[in-house]
Amino acid sequence: MLLVLLRDRGALLMGFVVPVVFFLILAEIFTSSADGELRLRLALTDEIQSPESLRLLAALEANASIERVDHAGDRETVRELVRRGTADVGLVLRADGEPLTGPPGFGPPPLLLLVDPARAVIADLLTGQLQRAYFGALPDVPLRNVIDLVGSEFTEFTPGQLAEIETGLGGMVRAAEAGAEVGFRFDDLLDRTSVVGQSASRNQVAYYAGAIAFMFLLLAAAQGAMTLIDEHESGILDRIAAGPAGPAPVMDGKFLFLAGQGLVQTTLIFAAAWLIYGVDLPGEWPGFLLVSVAAALCAAGIGLALVALCGTRARAQVMPVVVIVTVSAIGGSMVPRFFMPPWLQDLGWLTPNTWALEAYSGVFWRGAAASELLLPCILLALAGVAGLACARLAVRRMLGD
Amino acid sequence: MKPATLPLVKVKSARLAREGRRMLDGVDLELADGRLLALIGPNGAGKSTLLRVLAGRRRLDSGSVRVLGQDPLRQASARRAIGFVPQSIALYPQLPVRSNLEIFARLLGVPGRAIRQAVDEALDWSGLRDRAADAVSQLSGGMQRRVNIAAGTLHQPRLLLLDEPAVGLDPGVRGTIQDLMRRLRERGIGIVLTTHDLAEAGELADEVAIMLAGRIAAFGSPAELVAAEFGQCREVNLLLHVPPDDPARTALIAGGFLPTASARLWTTRFDGGLVELEQLRSRLSAQGLAVDELRLREPGLDGLFLRVTGEILQ
Repeated sequence: MLLVLLRDRGALLMGFVVPVVFFLILAEIFTSSADGELRLRLALTDEIQSPESLRLLAALEANASIERVDHAGDRETVRELVRRGTADVGLVLRADGEPLTGPPGFGPPPLLLLVDPARAVIADLLTGQLQRAYFGALPDVPLRNVIDLVGSEFTEFTPGQLAEIETGLGGMVRAAEAGAEVGFRFDDLLDRTSVVGQSASRNQVAYYAGAIAFMFLLLAAAQGAMTLIDEHESGILDRIAAGPAGPAPVMDGKFLFLAGQGLVQTTLIFAAAWLIYGVDLPGEWPGFLLVSVAAALCAAGIGLALVALCGTRARAQVMPVVVIVTVSAIGGSMVPRFFMPPWLQDLGWLTPNTWALEAYSGVFWRGAAASELLLPCILLALAGVAGLACARLAVRRMLGD
Repeated sequence: MKPATLPLVKVKSARLAREGRRMLDGVDLELADGRLLALIGPNGAGKSTLLRVLAGRRRLDSGSVRVLGQDPLRQASARRAIGFVPQSIALYPQLPVRSNLEIFARLLGVPGRAIRQAVDEALDWSGLRDRAADAVSQLSGGMQRRVNIAAGTLHQPRLLLLDEPAVGLDPGVRGTIQDLMRRLRERGIGIVLTTHDLAEAGELADEVAIMLAGRIAAFGSPAELVAAEFGQCREVNLLLHVPPDDPARTALIAGGFLPTASARLWTTRFDGGLVELEQLRSRLSAQGLAVDELRLREPGLDGLFLRVTGEILQ
């Protein structure tokens, strides 16, 4: 198999280059979102045109999460920009609503979001950014509303007090215009710290390295196991089966070769994750090696079994890919498991992808002890051995024994 | 008392059916060391099935098969004495000839230190030494066949089983494959091969088994079998212009002709000469039969095969 592989440049590319490139692309996509660097394209129109509305717009434009702000002439243009997908979301500072600076009244709110339902989650992200900009750009407005409420409901301020309040609020506005952070801020009530040493993005990369590595392990193992079909069609398996040891040693050899190939493949992906994203491969190599050996054995056995059960080239070219892609999707290789509904997360435990991902998360995310890794690793290795046994039986059936 | 020498191959009352079809139906066979047996018969007669039974690749429903006294299905030591060459080119096409032979030597249990010598010897006797570094896919069909055979002999088997070793080759190339088998036999290897080439079987084989519907219909040396069937007679083959009607069929059978798988072709033993042949033609014409060809020939395996199976092998 090694000699054949070395002479097949396409297979080398598919086995050792494509997975790394695929991983780098996905890692780039998902680390961007994990860092909060998602760039929103915002279309807006300011129908109010007051000093406050201009301050709010300036704050939005200064927000790093908002990539582009299209100032549209009117509400319909904003609507059209969102409908066409030119903008992710639209914002109208409406003249027909309650005042931007006043307490909520009975009329329409002063801010109107125009949302494409297909990108509703982006509207939620913008809502957060909008609140931040509002409190940053108009720090006096919520205070003024509170003072008005206190003045009308609890105690009447004297003219002198009112003058002092106006002076204070005016100072806040000037400070905000000068870039200072003043007034009420939810940020001040909130602190954030990581439960592990590394940043969230590095952990995300470790997750995706494991997720993509295991999916490609399965695909590469199934691709490598196609030699079984070649050897069956050419009569090589028949020749080997007539030999003194039968086909079993050849199957064992393929199993070990595919596992070795998988280990190299996984190491390349994690090496890229280490070199480019700083995933701590050198610090966690014993755990990585343990999980990767178990994962590679698992993929080798399953790949061989899937191809051997197919028996014919036509089936073996389609069925294993369908099974692997489905199992990988359920098991969390494509979308993180924590995005999935609970029943799908439970179903994931029936897939080897989930065991492998949990084991890699244990190594790179949770800093799990070796004893914690043993169960998933044993399960993975046992699945591999079961796959090999299944493949041996299927080959005997294929040969008509 | 000296113990009796074990036959190389002994098959006794071998029966095997698959999906209601009798593939072997009571086959008895014995072959001594260093002999070449050709299995001939029409498609579906059971030749390849018998070859696989000998290779330990099929389990019999009843009966027994022994190679040097051992069961090749259950005993690896029996399979160690067997070399199996499938009909297809069972080689890795992208790899060089030498790498292929090294791989199969290892799989056939040749010890690591002896592999190089075994491969070199195989390259020498098969005449492939100059092409050892070439990929199998770059070789001609005949050369690929030679590598295919060489790959089955690396472990010095006592019995070599070949399934249609020269199928699809030009007559010239077929000759080189036959030379190869002669060389193997000279090395003391017993050979069982299946073939559709009766000339090849007649020239090469010490023994021939004509198989029909899972049974051995005739077994012996080609000369003995032909002599037993034809005696001092020769063979006449009659090719009619159109298939005969029922009265004509009855007349032909009464006249000693045997029908074949082709309705236009009939065969008979004939102990006359050219004068008697001309008289036969006249009689046939008088019976209203349009004769395209009436051929008098020395009997051979093909004539025997036609009489036994009713078929002509191309």
